[in-house]
Amino acid sequence: MSWYVTGTGAVCSVGRGTDAVWEALCAGTSGLSPLRSFDQDKFRVTHAYEIDDREGAEDTPARATAWLIDAIAEALSDAGLDEDLSGTPVLVGTGLRELRSVELWWDKNKGADKDGTAQPGDLDRLHFGTALRERFGATNTYTFSNACSASLYALALATDLLAVGEAETVVVAGVDGITTSMHGLLDRVHPEPPDAVRPFDRARKGVLMGEGAAAVVLRKQDGVDPATAKGLLRAVGVSCDAFHVTAPDPVGIAASVRQAHARAGIKPEDVDLVMLHGTGTLLNDEAEAAAVAEVFGEHAGGPVMTAVKSMTGHTSGGSGLLGLVLATRALTEGRVPPTVGLVQPVTEAAEFRFARPGDGPADLSVAQVDAFGFGGVNAVAVIERTTA
Amino acid sequence: MTGVIGVGVALPGVTDLADIGGGTFDRSAKVDPAARIGRKGLRYKDRATQLGLVAAHDALVDAGLWVDGALTVPGESVAVLASSNLGNLDTVCEVSATIAAEGVVSTSPMALPNASSNVVASTTAIRFGLKGANLMVCNGATSGLDAVHWAATMLNAGRAEYAVVIGVEVANEVTERFTGSTDLLDGAAAIVLQAGAHGVPLGRFTRSGALSDVVSGTDGAWFVPEGFTGEAPIPGLANATRHDLAESFGRCGGALGVLQCAAATVLLRAGATEPVVVSNDGHEAAAGLALLPTGGSAQPEGNGR
Repeated sequence: MSWYVTGTGAVCSVGRGTDAVWEALCAGTSGLSPLRSFDQDKFRVTHAYEIDDREGAEDTPARATAWLIDAIAEALSDAGLDEDLSGTPVLVGTGLRELRSVELWWDKNKGADKDGTAQPGDLDRLHFGTALRERFGATNTYTFSNACSASLYALALATDLLAVGEAETVVVAGVDGITTSMHGLLDRVHPEPPDAVRPFDRARKGVLMGEGAAAVVLRKQDGVDPATAKGLLRAVGVSCDAFHVTAPDPVGIAASVRQAHARAGIKPEDVDLVMLHGTGTLLNDEAEAAAVAEVFGEHAGGPVMTAVKSMTGHTSGGSGLLGLVLATRALTEGRVPPTVGLVQPVTEAAEFRFARPGDGPADLSVAQVDAFGFGGVNAVAVIERTTA
Repeated sequence: MTGVIGVGVALPGVTDLADIGGGTFDRSAKVDPAARIGRKGLRYKDRATQLGLVAAHDALVDAGLWVDGALTVPGESVAVLASSNLGNLDTVCEVSATIAAEGVVSTSPMALPNASSNVVASTTAIRFGLKGANLMVCNGATSGLDAVHWAATMLNAGRAEYAVVIGVEVANEVTERFTGSTDLLDGAAAIVLQAGAHGVPLGRFTRSGALSDVVSGTDGAWFVPEGFTGEAPIPGLANATRHDLAESFGRCGGALGVLQCAAATVLLRAGATEPVVVSNDGHEAAAGLALLPTGGSAQPEGNGR
């Protein structure tokens, strides 16, 4: 079974809207900047890939919710649908929900109980259902908090929903803003503070967080004009390493890639483009490269590969679906955003054909999109070009 | 179709699974995870994860999937779904407060896994070697029933053969302040689902809010939304026996739906002959599910025991 992607939406540090994000990334534009959300003095890591949408210096709640709404609205418009989602399931994958809003609430209220001014938090806006009902009239809404593979997990569940006949159309989205706690704890565990995300480069120091959202409209094939579709989703494989709470396992990653290929009915040599997870951490990049190299075997040098986190930062739970949205453009246009800052690839990725600035157009039919998260939660999607 | 083949709970004051359908418990008798499943592997795990592990362990044992410390089926065949709204709020708030006061150098790197909300689901997979789909649902008042529904959907779609579904919430200073309530569940429930005609069958699920989509009525048990005392939304539920688990355990949040399904399974296993209805109701959505009699057999065939 396969399903059409009929509309896309995206927002991240390099632009708003799929067109803007796509063009910026193809041009090698990075969203890296000094930390805006948090007090830099408290951290060693002082850079991130934030969306610059605040007036003044003070951080504000519910920013992630706003990006999510924007991305979904764009995807609906792109798909030629109106904004009434009262009959449509909406599946949202996120690593950090509105936990930044919780941090802001706690900062204001943690010491306030003595004078009786403490306010409770907003339980109904910790997940995204309330905002989706207000804007789109959606009631069949789901927030999945599944670390950095969350949005591709949501995509997998959407295909299950379509497969068992519980829906004709599903909206899938991913979103994340940066929390102090996650930014800080990642800072804490880095041997030395990274100043940029350099996926698969030998000199990489680690990950920096990014902000963003992505959305797609996913539909059954019946009744959709292929000429209007953005891509044909062939399969999403999901699995768990059952190995470690933060470290990835190459064996588990390889299994998830194989599962996705098997579900899609393809072989490694059929893949023309791999949107790598590529976080720039020491462990992920080694594990992912080793796993992909193993699964692709003699074909490891075949597909074009890229890691857009080199420009967007790690957009956490939303990153997988952002990769999928970009893959639809790459398949259609034959262009691939470069892996910026990659000078000397790690040994495990020695044979990979990374996209470089200035590459000419390529004939791309099938793309693989990777997303791996804390706890070893793996999701890999396979998507195909629909235009001739 | 899918059915419930295992039940486990980690609930304050509960010593016998048969009791969980209602009543009063000594809620000061907090669950001691180490006493239940041993100390090993609990270090640095947050309270929600520890409680979830206890419930998952008991449910897996009950289902016959975990025997003598080993899984009896391939790990790839078992999915894990966990539901919690407040599970890791304590870590998130404490770490952000530490950073604000003293900077990042004063944080503990051991808190990193707990800053990610899916730590309950992933840690359960790691402990029991469960390599199927692994999903954390954080979806407000309906989250627990949503997790059960997604587990059934994944099984129906052929993504796994079994699914462990965990619901957990925790009571601590942060969650009490966040909710403005001191009457919060500090516990977990878990059920194991199997694809096919096994155990206590799951009936229909609705997110429309109309319980008539789930069942025409029942004279059996109806596990109501937290604090629900209103009129039955459909005439067929007028004579149902109501169970409000929040009265027994405090506000259950994202754990409620799973706890309700666990309690419903216990009733049906004990021979209840009418369908049991469970429902959650929240600010923006409502969910309902029926669990069905198995023909009066207290120990239905194929429940794995």
